Amino acid sequence: MLKQLTRSALEHLLQQTAADYRLQVPQRLADGTRQLAPYGSGELSLFGETPQRKPTSAFFPQTEPLLKIDSTGAVQLPAAAEKPLALFGLDAHDLHGIAFIDRFFSAAPADDVYLRQRTNALLIGLTGAAGPDQSFLPLSAGNCDIELIASNDHWLAVAYSETGEQLLEPFPDGDNDRLRALREETSSYRAIRPDSLQKASELLLHDRVPDDFWEAIAARCILCSGCNLACPTCTCFCLQDRQRADGTERSRVWDSCQLDAFMREASGHNPLGSEALRTRRRIHHKLAADPQRWGELGCVACGRCDRACPTGIGIFAVAEEIVKRYEKG
Amino acid sequence: MNRPAAENVTIYAPRPCRLLDVQQLTPQEKLFRLQLADGSDLGHQPGQFVQVSIPGLTEAPISVASSPSRSGYFELGVRRAGRLTAALHQLQPGAPLGIRGPFGRPFQLAALQGRQLLLIAGGCGLAPLRSLIQYCQDHADDYASVQILYGARSPDDLMFKQDLANWQISDSFTCRYTVDNRPASSCYDGETGLITQLLADLRPDPAICCAVVVGPPTMYRPVIAELRRMGLSGARQIMLSLERQMRCGVGKCGHCSIEHLYCCSDGPIFWLEEVEQLRGALG
Repeated sequence: MLKQLTRSALEHLLQQTAADYRLQVPQRLADGTRQLAPYGSGELSLFGETPQRKPTSAFFPQTEPLLKIDSTGAVQLPAAAEKPLALFGLDAHDLHGIAFIDRFFSAAPADDVYLRQRTNALLIGLTGAAGPDQSFLPLSAGNCDIELIASNDHWLAVAYSETGEQLLEPFPDGDNDRLRALREETSSYRAIRPDSLQKASELLLHDRVPDDFWEAIAARCILCSGCNLACPTCTCFCLQDRQRADGTERSRVWDSCQLDAFMREASGHNPLGSEALRTRRRIHHKLAADPQRWGELGCVACGRCDRACPTGIGIFAVAEEIVKRYEKG
Repeated sequence: MNRPAAENVTIYAPRPCRLLDVQQLTPQEKLFRLQLADGSDLGHQPGQFVQVSIPGLTEAPISVASSPSRSGYFELGVRRAGRLTAALHQLQPGAPLGIRGPFGRPFQLAALQGRQLLLIAGGCGLAPLRSLIQYCQDHADDYASVQILYGARSPDDLMFKQDLANWQISDSFTCRYTVDNRPASSCYDGETGLITQLLADLRPDPAICCAVVVGPPTMYRPVIAELRRMGLSGARQIMLSLERQMRCGVGKCGHCSIEHLYCCSDGPIFWLEEVEQLRGALG
């Protein structure tokens, strides 16, 4: 289904969505950053830089209550949310990131805590002339309910699910030729992922990256863990208990493989006992382990870790360095 | 995405459990006998582990030390090493506990059937191996022979001393154990030396022998080298149990990854050839 929305029609679609969903939309915050925030809490930002907070945090938040255990050992689950989530403003990278962790958390045994947030949630992509200064953002792979494609003074709206079709039903049909042209523009656009990621992946899979490389990269790491916290496909967590008046609240909290305690066992044995091993793990996991396990890179090339890293060792930078040093050698 | 979550159930919920009995095994290790509060069997297989939950201290992964063929209870041999295991060591029979699991890939029992078994444990690796030893004891006719080899640091560190004595006089097994060091003050009169020395004079038939190795990370490579020297160089001849900090048990939390594998769900039991080339797998 292809429809066309004016600015007021888009507002109408969002209002309608907000009636049935906890809708988050991109907004320009007072500090100048662009982030997803509850609809109606600020001014809608329809183009601009990618929000630095990862969109997957809506479904896998930094701290998430799992259950409560009372004094008898009985377990109680948190109350279900009244409405499912809806995220508007996701680009192709972010939709890819959500699809990646959908598969991860759905793999048997399915993570019911993730599914409770994610099931029936609505994803609305925002591509086309929606980048900084209305620059072109490549179209999505259709891994959303609705994709809004900014074009001149209107938005083409493609429905990819039954729910998406219902929501777009009232709007006038869009121009198929225009959609075709935008899709062609996407295919001629630079690859969604830089070549260096794929090349670095192959070098890692063929064990062509020596240990002293990781020593040198790790020497630049300040252990802030910003790379992991910003990455939409990072899913590692640890458990945390808090004693409350009515029992123990058990939560999960994001963890970082860059930290010494990540794999340390009670015996003191630590399979990732050096910064070099942990830095290798961060990059190797995305570029070599994930392709082996899931058949694709674990990096969706959103650029967040490279923006977050104060010392320039985000995954693009490291992949480029790997390719530069070892591609021919 | 329209895949619904199961209602009012979570994979992270511990099941209530009762502590039936506690035995001191060594100065650092105790054996806990437990039963699920609803009286049901744990439903585990040898080699699997559970997550022990103590409210306020989260969870710790512990291997099951008893065979499912001993029904009505399950046992955990636990070294006091961190905060949760220290609290566990304070508990008295009757105390409530939470258990999640059983988790993980068990010992590959079908592959062991009819074989000469070399069951090799170091340190507290005897606890998970004991689940298999008991299973073999209860299915003695299924194996050509069963030889148990165990090494501990000192006589005080020998776990399951009563079991070791019973296994030594059992018709089903051959059992030998050794300690790395015997203090001058010790009245221990058994064998002294590294576990590889127990392997040195064995003459297994490589065509039908299968070794199962459970131990601390430092033990794997020397023991594997010795097994290879004895001719156990084919596929599916050496089975290992690997230890990692498994925090969720269901392949989600990421703490037990070994390259592209998760120790908690792809393991903890692996054939050697599945992990030998993986960085860091064997310590």
